Amino acid sequence: MWRFLSTRILMGVLTIWITTILVTLLIHAVPGDPVQIMYAQSQGTTPEQIEEVRRSLGLDRPIPVQYAMFMERLVQGDLGNTIRGGQPVLDVIMQRLPNTLVLACAAMFIAVLIGVPIGFLAAYRKGSLTDITLMIIAIAGISMPHFWLGLVLLFFFAVELGWLPVSGNGWLNLVLPALTLGLSNAAIFARLTRSSMIDVMNQDYVQTALAKGLPRALVLRRHVLRAGLLPVVTMMGLQFAFMMGGAIVVENIFSWNGVGRMAVEAIFQRDYPIIQGFILTFSVVVVLVAITIDALYAVLDPRIRRS
Amino acid sequence: MSVAPDIDVSKAPPGFLWRLVRSPSGAIGLVIVLLLIFCALFADVLAPFDPNKMGSGGRFMPPSGDFPLGTDEFGRDMLSRILFGSRITLLVGAVAVGISLTIGMTVGMIAAFRRGWVEALLMRSTDVLFSFTETLIALSFVAVLGPSLQNAIIAVGVAGIPFYARTCYSAALVETSKPYFEASIAAGAQPTRLVLVHLLPNVMPTMIVVATLGVSTAILAAAGLSFLGLGAQPPTSEWGYMLAGSRDYINRAPWLMTIPGIAIAITVLGFNLLGDGLRSSLDPVERK
Repeated sequence: MWRFLSTRILMGVLTIWITTILVTLLIHAVPGDPVQIMYAQSQGTTPEQIEEVRRSLGLDRPIPVQYAMFMERLVQGDLGNTIRGGQPVLDVIMQRLPNTLVLACAAMFIAVLIGVPIGFLAAYRKGSLTDITLMIIAIAGISMPHFWLGLVLLFFFAVELGWLPVSGNGWLNLVLPALTLGLSNAAIFARLTRSSMIDVMNQDYVQTALAKGLPRALVLRRHVLRAGLLPVVTMMGLQFAFMMGGAIVVENIFSWNGVGRMAVEAIFQRDYPIIQGFILTFSVVVVLVAITIDALYAVLDPRIRRS
Repeated sequence: MSVAPDIDVSKAPPGFLWRLVRSPSGAIGLVIVLLLIFCALFADVLAPFDPNKMGSGGRFMPPSGDFPLGTDEFGRDMLSRILFGSRITLLVGAVAVGISLTIGMTVGMIAAFRRGWVEALLMRSTDVLFSFTETLIALSFVAVLGPSLQNAIIAVGVAGIPFYARTCYSAALVETSKPYFEASIAAGAQPTRLVLVHLLPNVMPTMIVVATLGVSTAILAAAGLSFLGLGAQPPTSEWGYMLAGSRDYINRAPWLMTIPGIAIAITVLGFNLLGDGLRSSLDPVERK
């Protein structure tokens, strides 16, 4: 089990390390002079000020030196300052990251709560009308753009019915974005759970258990559900990354004050320190969640736990 | 549709196309996709108005005889905009998947064929890129290149590479371990022959399915970027961008929000169904 986990942790560290390199290179991949572009929108910047910024960002040094400087600041928890406002990037991100994580977790909860039982039911009634209907709904759900689902929910619940606020950051404001992100992912969970459960139901040991006359409900609970849920757990790790990505769009629809909305604003304003910080934060979160899920998987799967 | 056991199988029309059309998802998917291609090809004939001409009708006219899908905030005909939008959507899907597919397959096949440190290097970097997730890769690309439709397409295409590389790699790996492949190595076949004659045709079915489903993902991703304002720029009649604009008029003109959304959903559904149909008609196990 420790070998399994240590490989995963090593892989995660490698991913974050490569991200730091890519993030340093990012600013040089910008066509033209990044400092000029960053300040193109604010008038009255003198050439001296631009040179000052170039120096403070270290952009006048060779790239390896810049990377060393970046890493030196990073280990001290310094991600630089924002171009607009000059606040520390880390503070700006830490202020908003909890909002994004709350949104992603709430959405994950909704997705699993709806998707897994539907998938299980469809697998249980495989080939029946229930199964076909549920799977048609699931494929329609996968095809529906989540940003459109967001607008539709906004229209019905906030505009037409007036039950929920259109935007803001209270608990009631969480309902619509979480529902948007959760529902569109529920379909993916339903499809995955169904195929995973069907795989397990076709296994010899399940057939044996049924053949020797164990009650179907007992076989499902003891043998099918446990084994069939394992791939779903693995999927949660990957899906969390999708949730974080989806949050970028959903936060913008509902003006939810998370890092996704911040990142899109930063792209428009060409605020590269924020973009760098966002990419780094995003990959750290995704890696941490992936490792946690892998640990959970290792504990749940006896084949790995006992190895 | 079960075939009675006494029917002579040799008389049944052969080929996967027949199997595809006979599966409900494949048939519906194919119809949607063909219809979409038709709309895109003949958009200038089918569209009653110039999609970008302002004041073709009044502002915010609800769907009616003259304007079957209504007009937008500039009095532009929505039907014409949707029809021309299908061109952009198909172009986005084709080019983005083209980028992911060519580079991803090259990487995957080289890794499976060369093995050793080449394989380790290529597949480990693919793993790292894969854990970045497609959204982050696409967003980073747009952040660097700047918002435009062309850059959004490149971003989505590049973001898909790790997934295609992985899939192609595992499909090719299965082939290289088969006896016929080892036999042709033993018979002294050249690497080019091995790759082009043996590997490529045998990974193709898998990749066709993946690419068809991938068109859906690419269209959704690019529409998402345009929705955020990071893709298509005004006055392009790109569906995601049209949706973004509709948010401000959600009270006055709900059809501006409904129509592009349905257009995207149907298109994506079409490619998803076609992909599912292709999978079951190309897969020898599911074929039974």
